[in-house]
Order: sequence, then C-alpha cells, then structure tokens
Amino acid sequence: MPPRDAVMVADAPARDPRAAGVPKIELVGASKTFYVRGQEVTALQPVDLTVGDQEFVALVGPSGCGKSTTLNLVAGLLRPSRGEVLYDGVPVTALNRRVGYITQKDTLLPWRTAAANIGVALELQSRAVPRAEAQERVAQLIDLVGLRGFENHYPAELSGGMRKRVALARTLIYEPECLLMDEPFGALDAQLKLLMQDQLQQLVHQRRMTVLFVTHDLGEAIALADRVIVFSARPGRIRAVRDVALPRPRDVFKMRFTEGFGRLHEELWDELKDEVAKGVDV
Amino acid sequence: MTAVPADRPTDQDIDPRPRLTRLVLTTTGLVVTRLLIIGVVLLAWELASGTLVPKFWVSSPSAIFARLVQWIADGSLWRHLEATLLAMGVGYVIGCLIGVATGLALGFMPFVQRILMPYLAGLYALPKIALAPLFIILFGIDIESKIALVAITVFFMLLYNTLDGVRDVDGDLVEALELMGATRREIGLKLLIPATLPWIFTGMRISVRYALTAAILGEVIGANRGIGYLIEASAGQYNTTGVYAGVLVLVICCVTLTELLTRAETSTRRGGP
Ligand SMILES: Nc1ncnc2c1ncn2[C@@H]1O[C@H](COP(=O)(O)OP(=O)(O)OP(=O)(O)O)[C@@H](O)[C@H]1O
Ligand SMILES: [Mg+2]
Repeated sequence: MPPRDAVMVADAPARDPRAAGVPKIELVGASKTFYVRGQEVTALQPVDLTVGDQEFVALVGPSGCGKSTTLNLVAGLLRPSRGEVLYDGVPVTALNRRVGYITQKDTLLPWRTAAANIGVALELQSRAVPRAEAQERVAQLIDLVGLRGFENHYPAELSGGMRKRVALARTLIYEPECLLMDEPFGALDAQLKLLMQDQLQQLVHQRRMTVLFVTHDLGEAIALADRVIVFSARPGRIRAVRDVALPRPRDVFKMRFTEGFGRLHEELWDELKDEVAKGVDV
Repeated sequence: MTAVPADRPTDQDIDPRPRLTRLVLTTTGLVVTRLLIIGVVLLAWELASGTLVPKFWVSSPSAIFARLVQWIADGSLWRHLEATLLAMGVGYVIGCLIGVATGLALGFMPFVQRILMPYLAGLYALPKIALAPLFIILFGIDIESKIALVAITVFFMLLYNTLDGVRDVDGDLVEALELMGATRREIGLKLLIPATLPWIFTGMRISVRYALTAAILGEVIGANRGIGYLIEASAGQYNTTGVYAGVLVLVICCVTLTELLTRAETSTRRGGP
C-alpha cells in the first residue's frame, strides 16, 4: 500500500472510475447466524442495504437487533452466513482497511495518553507522516473533539464520553473515505452531543465521506442522515426506510423544532416503538 | 488504629490498651522487642547446648558465630557466596532473556505455539531439580551446571508469564489496529509488547526467589563451591556448626534479596502510570 493512500483517496474529488455509479456499501441478502455453545443465534436476517458514495445512512433499532453485526460485516471483521457484502462493488473477504470504524466498545491503548492514542495511525508505515505534521494534526483533532487540556491523560483517567471522543479523533486523523460509527455519541451529554454532531456534519461534507451511523437516538439519526433505516427486534431485518429530505447544511441545534423534523420523527417512532417493546419482552 | 487530630492530646483514656502494649507498638519498641526475643532464644540455645541437648545435634550460637568469623577471616565465605550469587545472577539473566524472547516469538506465531505447547507443558511440569544430575554430566561440577539449572527454572517462569500476557491482549485492540492498517510487526511492537510488559515484570520479580533456590539446590546436589556446597559438605562431615552457619548465611541472603525486591517494587510502582 503506498503511503497516505487513504488521504489521497479522501481528498480526490473523483474516485476510482470503475466505482462510478457503484454504491460504496452494498449488502445483498446478507445474514448472520452465530453458534454459541451449540445453539444458533440469528443476529441478522437477510438484509438488503445500499449506501451510495458520500451518503450518510443511519441505522436505528432495539438493542441486540444486529446493528453492530452489520457494521462488523462491512468492516470485514465478520463474514456473512449467507448473502454478500460488497464495498465499491467488490466482495469484502478480508479486513476492509478503506473504512474507519469507531466501535461501540472503545479500543484505546491503555498505556498511551490521549494524544498518543489519537496519533497512533500516523505512526504506521502505511500512513506514516513526518513527526511535525503528525503533531500538528493531533493538536487539530484534539481541538476538534474538545479535549484540549487532556492530551496527557491516560484512557483510565478520562470519562466514558471523553474516551469515545479520543476514539473518534483517532479514526478521523487518517481521513478514511468511509466511516462506520457505532453509537459514537451515546455517552455524551445532550449539549456536547449536539456540538459533536455539528462538527461531524461539517467534516463529512468537507471530506466527502460516506457514513454508516448506528444510534439509539432517533433525533440524532434524522438530524445527521440522508436516510434512516429502522431495524426490527432480534433477529434483525429492515422494518422501515425513510429518506430525510431536509435541506443541507442543517442546523443541528434548531432543526428539532421544525415541522419537517417533527413529522419524520413521529413517523419513524411509530415504526420503532413496537420493535423496542418486542426487544424488551425478549 | 485511627489517626488522632493534632490539637487533641493523646490521652491515656483514649487508648484503652495497657501501657506496655502501647510502648511495644512504637517503632523503637518493636525493634527492641524483636531483639529481646532473638536474644532470649540465643541465650536459651547456648545454655541448652551441651546440657539439655548434646552439642553434636544443635551446636551452639557461640560456635556458629566463631565459625562465621573464621570463614570471613580466611576468605572462604566470599568465595562460596560469590559462586552462589554468580550462578544465580548469570542463570537468571539468561533465563529471563530466552524466556521472554521465546514467549514473544510463540505469542506472535500461534500456529507454532499450538504445535510445541505439549512439549513445553511437559518440561514445565517436570521438577527442574531432577535435571541437576544430568547438568552435572553435561556441564561439569563447576558453576556452569548451576547456571544451567537456574536458567531453565527462570526460563519456564518467564515463558509462561509472557505467553499469558500475550494471550491476555484484547482481541478487539488487535482488530482495531489491523483495521487502521497496522502490519503484523507493528501490532507486535505497538500492542503485544507493551501489553505484555507488566506480565514480564511480574515474572522477573517472582523468579528471583526461584533462581536462588535453584542455585542452592544445584550446589547441594553436586558442586565444589557455593553456599549450598558449604552446607552439604559440612553435613557430610557431621559438622552441625558448619551447617547452621551456612544456613544463617542463606537466611541473610534471602532477607537482603527480599528487602531489595520490595524496595524496587515500591519505587517502580511510584514511578510508572
Ligand atoms: N460474537 C458473537 N457471538 C455470538 N453472538 C453474538 C456475537 N455478536 C453478536 N451476537 C448476538 O447477535 C445479536 C446482535 O448483536 P449486535 O451486537 O449486532 O446488536 P446491536 O444491534 O448492536 O445491539 P446494541 O444496540 O445493544 O449494541 C445479539 O443477540 C448478540 O447476542
Ligand atoms: Mg451494538
């Protein structure tokens, strides 16, 4: 892999011509069944899902319905039990290094400070940059995620929300062309969450990223996404899909009070609430 | 014992324990009491020796002390001590280096590890002391055979600690780095080694004591120098005074070693994150 591959891809206005018109991410009848101590657990029923280039798609659904499993399939951490997962039209058969994955569980290195964790990707051969540039980019991202003053704190000395932001910065720093985000703002307070949503929205636009975003927060899904997909309770399948036709750039702070937002929220909530109730019964 | 605020005098009524108990529990009180106990024991030993119990079995503190002085004067104490400490130190370093290197190598190659593990497990389970006669044949009666015995003892402790450390690394961290584009080498350097370091240090700390034990046992079984040899040789001549004097040297070694280790531990714990 040539150095700074990911950066060049992310900056280039026109991507691989072969991929023109081909969706970035495509799940074709992809399902996943786990075998736990001889017992079958169907995490995901066959799902068809398409995320276009530079599209922002949000997944919502009750706990345990297979949202993280879906992201793991796209990242190549799991193979589908049936069906296919395509990235840029090519089946995902190994780890998918074109995506940046912010997992639900944070995976920071405990012996590195926040700043050193954020910079780790730039130390790798495949993404190496000169030390001075790396430092500058780390500083930029620390500002971006609002962690100034905590550069030298170890993960154990940070709050859950802070660790999530370090994980976010650690991924954003290498500018992947596609982001998989699993409840990245779940541990943040309401105000900070809005700030981070706003930052993310701007950055995604600037860098022309494709995003597959998992959240429990319906309002967050509508505020950020071009399309919201509601999953049913486990075993997950797609229950509803709604395009969010609200104009961009959006004002994440005020849009909640607009009529269009309210209507969409109600519609989606009607779909979601039955499933959440089912999820709780189980 | 709870701390008493400075502005309130420690009144006798506050501490319900008798005056003597409180006196003993001060720092100097403790030292004095301990010295008193050992003094009484030594005195009883001295008086009993040759009267209640034959001197042949129990020797006597004064004879042991005289023997020690004689060993120091003729330089034999240093010669034996040097041999033991050298065998222990060299064997320890060799065992640590090879143990950690093998542990990391097997950790990086789970496939090879799966193949070799039964052999290693078998050797690990073997009491190493059983190898002492073999080492004497292979490496001779001199210090080399003791070095080998110490090294193999320490090797297995470090090997297993390192392997446990690598096994304990969170697979999700490995995946996260792999997704970022890390090569296997980078995962080793940036993840497996730093994550395993605390396990390696624990292994190094624990195995110091085992290294001393292995050196002494090796010397007892067959040697021409060393504290273990000194004890064994004295016993062979039914020289109980020599045995007791040798054991006393050993006790002093162990206490010193333990004290050094405790200091090293507390200072590292204060240092790192
Ligand atoms: N590695 C695994 N082994 C066995 N079962 C698994 C595994 N990963 C997930 N599952 C099962 O698959 C189902 C879906 O899990 P998944 O993590 O995708 O849910 P989720 O939608 O992300 O839930 P949440 O919102 O709580 O994070 C769950 O019932 C879970 O028990
Ligand atoms: Mg999840």
